[in-house]
Amino acid sequence: MSTSEESLITTEVSSERTGRSDRPDATVLAARDLDVYYGDDRALASVDVEIPEHKVTAIIGPSGCGKSTFLRCINRMNDQIAVCRVDGDLSFHGKNVYDDDVDPVALRRRVGMVFQKPNPFPKSIYDNVAYGLRIQGFDGDMDARVEEALRGAALWGEVKDQLDSSGLDLSGGQQQRLCIARAIAPDPEVILMDEPTSALDPVAASKIEDLIDELAEQYTVVIVTHNMQQAARISDKTAVFLTGGKLVEFDDTAKVFENPDEPRVEEYITGKFG
Amino acid sequence: MPREEFQRQLDTLRDDVVAMGDLVLTRYDEAIEAAATGDAGRANRVIEGDADVNERYLELEERCTQIIALQQPVAGDLRLVTASFKIITDLERIADLATNLASYGRPDSGIHPDVDVRDLAGDAGEMVSMALAAYEDEDPEACFIVADQDDALDERCERASKRVVRGLLDRQAAETHSVDESDAFAAELDEVSRALLTVRDLERVGDHAVNIAARTLYMIETDDALLY
Repeated sequence: MSTSEESLITTEVSSERTGRSDRPDATVLAARDLDVYYGDDRALASVDVEIPEHKVTAIIGPSGCGKSTFLRCINRMNDQIAVCRVDGDLSFHGKNVYDDDVDPVALRRRVGMVFQKPNPFPKSIYDNVAYGLRIQGFDGDMDARVEEALRGAALWGEVKDQLDSSGLDLSGGQQQRLCIARAIAPDPEVILMDEPTSALDPVAASKIEDLIDELAEQYTVVIVTHNMQQAARISDKTAVFLTGGKLVEFDDTAKVFENPDEPRVEEYITGKFG
Repeated sequence: MPREEFQRQLDTLRDDVVAMGDLVLTRYDEAIEAAATGDAGRANRVIEGDADVNERYLELEERCTQIIALQQPVAGDLRLVTASFKIITDLERIADLATNLASYGRPDSGIHPDVDVRDLAGDAGEMVSMALAAYEDEDPEACFIVADQDDALDERCERASKRVVRGLLDRQAAETHSVDESDAFAAELDEVSRALLTVRDLERVGDHAVNIAARTLYMIETDDALLY
């Protein structure tokens, strides 16, 4: 068993990063013939996609097309939905995350998530960032790790003198960056973002967009967005889901927005459909 | 269909680029008649009318910029806007060349007889017309036909230039007096210069037609075969 696979089975926090590849454009996540059902309703239909490491991959599509379902499959958030059933293969560094021996908590340590609405805990800024590390038994230099995460989220300069203040006292944009700091504190490899700027004003949203670009140097970012201009601005790859849970096109973002192969994708991104 | 106002803006843009093309071709035809006949009044009307073309060019340029800024077009819509943006520049240049051409005709004799100006200009104008029709109708085959016609136009222009220069040299070889002292020679040099400039500008009109065809082909099929 490889180190990468082993780290999906244990919840211990490793002092070293695992599973990262030195190869450019290495695949970190791969879905093959992935189907997801909610009861009898098929939410994803035979999805095949390979998500490259250290890139920003945007997932776009009309409401109800399955893009959030796909995102939540990656770190098994759908496990919490009783009627949800997943068929096919969704691998993380070659290991199917739905194998019986995979610990979802260990998976989520390596695949963090940021949600649409900023949701800091009603705790201090420091404790928001340290929380995940503490419950994972991290016994290293917590102060250094918190600072590193806040710096990584481009928030340190704004909060370094008020680490004991409540995270809820921050502005909406700062709260979202605090949530990003919380997500990167355990040093994940992948950060999933589900419409992370849709609740923010344009200035706060642009800061998050800049941050996403920086995060991609260290992490693989997969972002669901309804904002096609945002997808075009910030992503390297774009996946277009259309109705029926089908992944219709996946390619370099420039290709998708300049010359998509699929006429239905052209109709969607030009606003003639959806 | 969603974004109806946006679609209307794109349709209007396309129609108005074609209308600008029609205006430029009308001025171009006038310019050729002015050159061929040496009609100074007609030439002046073409030159003064260039301000209308410039005004229309700036208005369409502004509209393209606004569509990009306010509607953020992508894919085929973006290609239509960017192609239009480039095509109006070619049309404006053709109008500039028309003002040059209008001014080349000599009051008494028009253009040097070794240059069949109406014929050459007809071919170049036909290429512009076909390129605009290709843009309007989204016809990729017509784009390639325009490019092929340009090769033939270039060849005819080169032959015409050589005829003019060879005629000058032959006539001078037959003369006995010093060329510096000859008023007739100065007049002939002037006529030859006007003829060569005419040929050069007609050849450039053909090049602009190819540019329009090339941008149109990319707009239709993202095929860059005719770009440079």
